[in-house]
Amino acid sequence: MRTLPNRKRARRRFRGQAHEPSVETPSHPVSALTAEPNGRRRGQSTRSSSHPVSALVGNPNVGKSVIFGLLTGRYVTVSNYPGTTVEVTTGHTKLCKEKCVLVDTPGVNSLVPMSEDEKVTRDILLDPALRVVIQVADAKNLRRGLLVTLQLSEMGLPVVLALNMHDEARSRGISIDADALSQILGIHVIPTVATQKRGIDRIAHVALSARVPGLRVRFADSIEEAVKEIEGLLPEARISKRSLALMLLSGDSSIEEKLPGLSHEHRARIRQIAAGLQRGYGEPLNYFINRTRLSVIDTVLSQVMVSRGGATPGWLARLGLLTMHPFWGIPFLLAVLWLTYQFVGRLGAGTFVDFLEGTIFGRYINPFFVYVAGKTLPAGFVRELFVGQYGVVTMGLTYAFGIILPIVGTFFLAFGILEDSGYLPRLAIMTDRVFKKMGLSGKAVLPIVLGLGCDTMATLTARVMETLKERIIVTLLLALAVPCSAQLGVILGMLGGLSPLAAVIWFGTLIGVMFLTGALAAKVVPGRNSDFLLEIPPLRLPQISNIVAKTGTRIEWYLKEAVWLFVVGTLILFLLDKSGALGAIERAAAPLVVGWLSLPQEATQAFIIGFLRRDYGAAGLFVLAKKGELDAVQIVVSLVTITLFIPCFANFLMIIKERGIKVTLWIVGFVFPFAFLVGGLLNLVLRHFKIL
Amino acid sequence: MEKERIEEMLELLWTLRESGDELLSKAVKVSKDDNPTEVIKALASEKLVATQNDRVALTREGEEAAREIVRRHRLAEVLLAQVLELEDAEITDAACKFEHVLSPRVTESICTFLGHPPACPHGKPIPRGACCARVETKMEPFVVKLTEVEVGSDVAVVFVVPALHATLDRLAGFGVVPGSRMHLHQKTPSYVVQIGETTVGLDKEIARGMYVKRV
Repeated sequence: MRTLPNRKRARRRFRGQAHEPSVETPSHPVSALTAEPNGRRRGQSTRSSSHPVSALVGNPNVGKSVIFGLLTGRYVTVSNYPGTTVEVTTGHTKLCKEKCVLVDTPGVNSLVPMSEDEKVTRDILLDPALRVVIQVADAKNLRRGLLVTLQLSEMGLPVVLALNMHDEARSRGISIDADALSQILGIHVIPTVATQKRGIDRIAHVALSARVPGLRVRFADSIEEAVKEIEGLLPEARISKRSLALMLLSGDSSIEEKLPGLSHEHRARIRQIAAGLQRGYGEPLNYFINRTRLSVIDTVLSQVMVSRGGATPGWLARLGLLTMHPFWGIPFLLAVLWLTYQFVGRLGAGTFVDFLEGTIFGRYINPFFVYVAGKTLPAGFVRELFVGQYGVVTMGLTYAFGIILPIVGTFFLAFGILEDSGYLPRLAIMTDRVFKKMGLSGKAVLPIVLGLGCDTMATLTARVMETLKERIIVTLLLALAVPCSAQLGVILGMLGGLSPLAAVIWFGTLIGVMFLTGALAAKVVPGRNSDFLLEIPPLRLPQISNIVAKTGTRIEWYLKEAVWLFVVGTLILFLLDKSGALGAIERAAAPLVVGWLSLPQEATQAFIIGFLRRDYGAAGLFVLAKKGELDAVQIVVSLVTITLFIPCFANFLMIIKERGIKVTLWIVGFVFPFAFLVGGLLNLVLRHFKIL
Repeated sequence: MEKERIEEMLELLWTLRESGDELLSKAVKVSKDDNPTEVIKALASEKLVATQNDRVALTREGEEAAREIVRRHRLAEVLLAQVLELEDAEITDAACKFEHVLSPRVTESICTFLGHPPACPHGKPIPRGACCARVETKMEPFVVKLTEVEVGSDVAVVFVVPALHATLDRLAGFGVVPGSRMHLHQKTPSYVVQIGETTVGLDKEIARGMYVKRV
């Protein structure tokens, strides 16, 4: 275990810099890597400025993040869903002689970027500080892996190739001669099984002596001529001119901006060459270039790979197909939903909340603080600040840790299992047609389901959608109609006390609103839809350690994100109450809340605080309902309104960050009145027809 | 002058024009004919081409004739490459002979049989014929859309005509190019195909643009 001491050292180093974590997730991944003139990197501290960079590159879902974790000794969120690494993670490693920065990149199938995350990877490869590329390939899917290797080779970058999941390949009857492949490519080829840490120390060992792959592809004469002419026009760059020329011919418009030294006339001439060449072809040049590459790869594969086909699929593979089956997929989906509900709705929101809120906070923590405050703090303002009706401890912390944490925790655990097992992309297969009606594709299932955990996190994940239009629609639907787990837990708790019809009305209204809004948005939002093309990873048995670590990271994120907002929210309520403003706002909002929605005046508090945290608002309603101040119709109306109501503060900030202020204002401007409109209409309908 | 020499020259002029070249001197230089100038003169006298200084252009009749020859040649290439799976060297030679002997009816049949392919194995466009506009499927075509294949079939990709270019590139990233073998797992609620050890889900719109043959 040669890597172990290295990893320990890396970790020790990290502890030494207490204020900055060694793994960073810059909000603008690319800018973090762009060297500034003075040699510093934007978005990073100076300590990494002088360090060379090595990058982990490969197809989606081949185990890059696991290998990253092993090489740096840090855990990254790993999941069995393509497109998880939407932001770039960097960590320190001893791959190079001196300490260097290892970058985990989003998965790519081609280095001519087709999406935002593929562009991130391509840009990292252009970084002048890049020394070594560690390419991770799925041994079962070597053909696709070599397509990336060939392009790295064209770029002239030193590569070490890790043939990961070597065990899985062997069990499927695929054997690869790594030495022969190493001979042909002229680089180190190392079989690995990342989940069992096999072969990882060898990667670390040979990284220093990485070489540029020697395999070259000769394209059709007309393409070679065009490449040669373009090469003559290009300025010097980190990667080879040949690869740049091929990218330009492939119609990669984003590469031009990376070539500031290219004159205007040369740009025009290159475009002319590409257009002229394209005219002679009946299919896009990029496709033709890839076809040529794949035919070279097929020749290589015939020399190094033997596939004893007809290996009988294991039970997991057969189950994997059943979960997408037009008939059996549906009971499977229902079973997953039911189990998730039992786990999150019953165990998390029921048993755990009762224990934490009722027993721990209700019997021990709160009485203890009330007692201490009673002894140490003067009665009145200060004491009430901590332990009063709107006290930081008695209200803020109780809500955060007693009600919300157990619900969110169980949800993240359930989501982690679903994610790790590879079920989510299968859900996308099942739901594509439904999402098509909302101007989206099945891919939207990832952000929407994650939204049931936390809308803020899900808004970030909207990046997996291919077009801007789809990203806007997903963001809108998340902000409007998808309740987060914390809110959902409280809501289910309240609906549980009513007839099943109440839950049906609440759910039906939300689904209806979601469809209606989605269908309208599909027409109104400019831009195009994308078609649905998604890789389905194999179904895997989730690894306990992986899920525990992942849930831990997410809960940590949640606590950092949410708890201070609970405290701030409580403080605002407290101050509003003390200054008498709360009453004034309640009176001002009375026509809306009392008149239009027929709710008691105190419900206004829930809406005010609902902006800080949606779940906090719902929790306010929960308390009102518990006190018996809401009847059945009022409960349903208030829940529908607060679910649709404006996204929480953190989500609001995330929407601004991801979509910009203009789109955010449009979304908020729509959601706010629309929530009250729907709530009010529901109120009228329920009262008129005397339902519930 | 024999028909073959004329046709070869028309074909050459067409392909040169595809790469934006209409120079007489270039045509003379690359032609494999023993006396290219003589052929071009003959073409001019039959009003199939018009020459001016060093420029040579196909007339309307010449255009029509060249188009048919190129179409026959490239259809023959697809037939030889995709259906008979011959090596590239054999394909070009054989196709050069085919182009002179195929009658319009036979050409239409081959085109329909192949599912009206848009490009030859070398990526060059195949000029469209009348049958492509009609999209005849009276004859059981050898090459069919993925949507017409039964669930559970093994197929080989012949060509892909997607609505968006980006789709083509993403498919290539999954290893889906002409010649790739796929297994069709299901058609509803979405299409699921397996290429090697890669499983890919796609919608009906993409499946409709994937032309395959059963294997």
